[in-house]
Amino acid sequence: MTDSKYFTTTKKGEIFELKSELNNDKKEKKKEAVKKVIASMTVGKDVSALFPDVVNCMQTDNLELKKLVYLYLMNYAKSQPDMAIMAVNTFVKDCEDPNPLIRALAVRTMGCIRVDKITEYLCEPLRKCLKDEDPYVRKTAAVCVAKLYDISSGLVEDQGFLEQLKELLSDSNPMVVANAVAALSEINESSPTGQPLVELNHATINKLLTALNECTEWGQVFILDSLSNYNPKDEREAQSICERITPRLAHANAAVVLSAVKVLMKMMEILAGDTEFCGTLSKKLAPPLVTLLSSEPEVQYVALRNINLIVQKKPDILKHEMKVFFVKYNDPIYVKLEKLDIMIRLASQANIAQVLSELKEYATEVDVDFVRKAVRAIGRCAIKVEPSAERCVSTLLDLIQTKVNYVVQEAIVVIKDIFRKYPNKYESIISTLCENLDTLDEPEARASMVWIIGEYAERIDNADELLDSFLEGFADENAQVQLQLLTAVVKLFLKRPAHTQALVQHVLSLATQDSDNPDLRDRGFIYWRLLSTDPAAAKEVVLADKPLISEETDLLEPTLLDELICHISSLASVYHKPPTAFVEGRSAGIRKTLPARQGSVEEAANQEATVIPNQESLIGDLLSMDIGSAVPPAQPQAPPTSNVDLLGGGLDVLLGGPPDLGGGVAPSTTGLLGDIFGLSSAPTMHTPPKTCWLPADKGKGMEIMGTFSRRNGQITMDLSFTNKAMQAMSGFAIQFNKNSFGIAPAAPMNMGALQPGQTLEYNLPLNTNGPVQRMEPLTTLQVAVKNNVDVFYYACQVPIQVLFIEDGTLDKRVFLTTWRDIPSANEVQYTINDIKGNADSVSAKMTHNNIFTIAKRNVEGQDMLYQSLKLTNNIWVLLELKLQPGVSHATLSLKSRSVEVAPYVFQAYDAVVKNC
Amino acid sequence: MRILILGLDGAGKTTILYRLQVGEVVTTIPTIGFNVEQVQYKNLNFQVWDLGGQTSIRPYWRCYYSNTDAIIYVVDSADKERMGISKDELFHMLREEELGDAILVVLANKQDIPGCMSLKEVHQALGLEALKNRTFQIFKTSATKGEGLDMAMEWLANALKNKK
Repeated sequence: MTDSKYFTTTKKGEIFELKSELNNDKKEKKKEAVKKVIASMTVGKDVSALFPDVVNCMQTDNLELKKLVYLYLMNYAKSQPDMAIMAVNTFVKDCEDPNPLIRALAVRTMGCIRVDKITEYLCEPLRKCLKDEDPYVRKTAAVCVAKLYDISSGLVEDQGFLEQLKELLSDSNPMVVANAVAALSEINESSPTGQPLVELNHATINKLLTALNECTEWGQVFILDSLSNYNPKDEREAQSICERITPRLAHANAAVVLSAVKVLMKMMEILAGDTEFCGTLSKKLAPPLVTLLSSEPEVQYVALRNINLIVQKKPDILKHEMKVFFVKYNDPIYVKLEKLDIMIRLASQANIAQVLSELKEYATEVDVDFVRKAVRAIGRCAIKVEPSAERCVSTLLDLIQTKVNYVVQEAIVVIKDIFRKYPNKYESIISTLCENLDTLDEPEARASMVWIIGEYAERIDNADELLDSFLEGFADENAQVQLQLLTAVVKLFLKRPAHTQALVQHVLSLATQDSDNPDLRDRGFIYWRLLSTDPAAAKEVVLADKPLISEETDLLEPTLLDELICHISSLASVYHKPPTAFVEGRSAGIRKTLPARQGSVEEAANQEATVIPNQESLIGDLLSMDIGSAVPPAQPQAPPTSNVDLLGGGLDVLLGGPPDLGGGVAPSTTGLLGDIFGLSSAPTMHTPPKTCWLPADKGKGMEIMGTFSRRNGQITMDLSFTNKAMQAMSGFAIQFNKNSFGIAPAAPMNMGALQPGQTLEYNLPLNTNGPVQRMEPLTTLQVAVKNNVDVFYYACQVPIQVLFIEDGTLDKRVFLTTWRDIPSANEVQYTINDIKGNADSVSAKMTHNNIFTIAKRNVEGQDMLYQSLKLTNNIWVLLELKLQPGVSHATLSLKSRSVEVAPYVFQAYDAVVKNC
Repeated sequence: MRILILGLDGAGKTTILYRLQVGEVVTTIPTIGFNVEQVQYKNLNFQVWDLGGQTSIRPYWRCYYSNTDAIIYVVDSADKERMGISKDELFHMLREEELGDAILVVLANKQDIPGCMSLKEVHQALGLEALKNRTFQIFKTSATKGEGLDMAMEWLANALKNKK
């Protein structure tokens, strides 16, 4: 017998047994069988093979059996989408059952099934259920509309379900109203256009407010949440809404309380002018928030995260409640840390004494994370409450005396900030700090200490010795320590040049020659050049006055804060991230924000204009900085100046290798670097290098090199004219032949005379409004250039990426449907080789070239990027890029109604991926 | 006893099912899926499955074949154009092994519609003469008027008794 026996089962198996039991005539047996099936399903066994048999048990007068079958259907209908059609008739019948429970059950299950093929059959029963005489059925049907909208928004709109849903807002039963409003909110949020599909108006708001008092607690949450999306037409309306929902603050359910707080926070923004009303309201908000902190720790945590937002927005509300945020010994750590955060935010002149004594207490606790945060909090209090700074510093000193390693380290980190905030005030403690130099083993603490030494080098007698001792292990230090060491030594040198030349030379060579960290190397080079060029300037730059540090370093960015205030009592307010950041598949269309304050139009405009750049795009911006041209011209022989003779050989080496500079300058966050290089942070599209379009021998001495580029939506033809003839040239003019994309000069060429031997750069702005004629190859552009000598003709290829326009982002849903609609004959595949970087960096590069990543997925270790782009002539191109981390080639699938652009788009991808 | 009612869409299967069960004409909508009812005839108890006749549902008829004692195949006598399709579906179904022993009753329904095909014509159009080794009979019926159904059920009940 072969080993194949292991793969064939001898027994018919469980499935087979269940199958025969399901087909048993006896109802009891059937029910038992379905229960077994559900049990298997629940523990994760695949029982989808029994689909037809289970569906056949569906028509029964036994409610229990019916429920079980429905449960099965919800789970497996998706895996058997074709067969699911067999269930439709039963749903239709059940929706007309005399028992309202069965009607509701049927309509609820229908909504959960999510199979495209059968949704259209479910519209009629749903319509009936929305008008059912029984409120339980109506309220279930209302939710079903939202579910259906998620599957097929078009169907819901066409069938008039939205109108029916709106009618339910005036239903006599408050639960129906609550569910209808919940369904509408959900539909509005997923609206593809970003515009709410159903707007609430004054009349419906009134009905909601009436229903609010009568419905269940969760119904209240729904109603309050939708009220928070409503913009009252005037202050009076806002005021009346506030008055009517204030009683909710006393509700026992924390979700109701938080939702009510959310609405009030929003209304207060509108009523900001009415200080008296807002003042009273603020007073009413404090007690319910405080009450939330006496519930179980999990609820406390959620409340604290929300309070954290509220305190940032309106510190006044809880300013007298400091004590409730004092940490209890038995609080879980996550509650402790969160309370600490709020304590700092609430700290003020009035309560600082209390806060400090608490914090000092915390710093002696056992939990390391908590102690650290407490120490840090003391530092933050010092910075925030100026009159208490001295007290804070002495508290920190006391803590340093404890010699508890992590306490000392944390204290040094915050003392650095205190020095920044109050220069020349507390330097007397430096000596105490220096005593603890040896115990510092964390990079942040070491870096802070090094910074302090460098900053106060003139007061620390043995600063050079101290720094020198750090340099011994330079290579093993963390990058931030290395950077600080470099800067500190340079500061030391500028302050006390007498005996520190060797030291600075040593550190510069360590940084520029022995390190492969580009940040460090480049900072080293900058210092080196600064010192060698003009030590006086170096002094001005390196020892410049530092910008003030703000009181609160970790405040949320205001637009984000406003958005999060609108999401109080949701996961977003717990994560402190907008929902778009963690909810997949959610259209970025609607971003909630607080209403503009009355009478401040400008502010509203500002609010809309501020878009928080996310991390990715920031990095993208930095990486694509066009630094090549911005590097200051290297001076081959820098004049040795005054007492600086360190440049000797080192500098020559440095200047001998300028490509190093051009290739390796990585952006650093230091403002210093940016200033020196004058880096522009505007992202630029990949521009191919200039190629020779018209050689001099064909142009009677005129040579034309050129390329195309796109900056800020403007296409230009970048030309270099060189005169290799003996006499001057003038009277230049340019003309294009008809071409595939209608490219034409946007303005006539206006270039002065070109002297013999001279090269002139000319950037010709282009538009795409010219005459169109299909060329072969598609991107060919025929150009005629005239000068006083003759007319010359040449043809060049337009890199297609300059024709990608800035609004080429397709909505996710539209992308999906379009991708499906385009026949597979219009799909082309391509392999890109030599890709550098990962999905994120590739996608960032693409974005600068107007190739927009709409979605990213990770499938079996491969990153799938879904991208779209739009050409100037409104041709959409949809792409799917499959990247495998660690593999340098990637597969690209392209779909477009005009698939003939594909090869050029592929070229563009190649160019973009390889040249950034 | 397990009986299937099959046939193209719109042949009158659901109407026949409820005529048999409650003795009345009910308003029906196209059956997307199935109906199953217990039907008493004389002192026999049938479990009658009425399956939808839409093209999209026909492939699933086979899920219902096992343990079937009889098939009532309903034909719309007025739908001359689709008689061929009806025939194909019938023979396709009869080829199934699981239905080897099943008794077949063909109902030439909608006899009340003027200009419909006669019993003989339906018999011919379906090619029933080609059936061998199968207990079968064809009846003309009008489900809406309630004509012919009794006769058909009478015959079927007897045939089922004899089969035992």
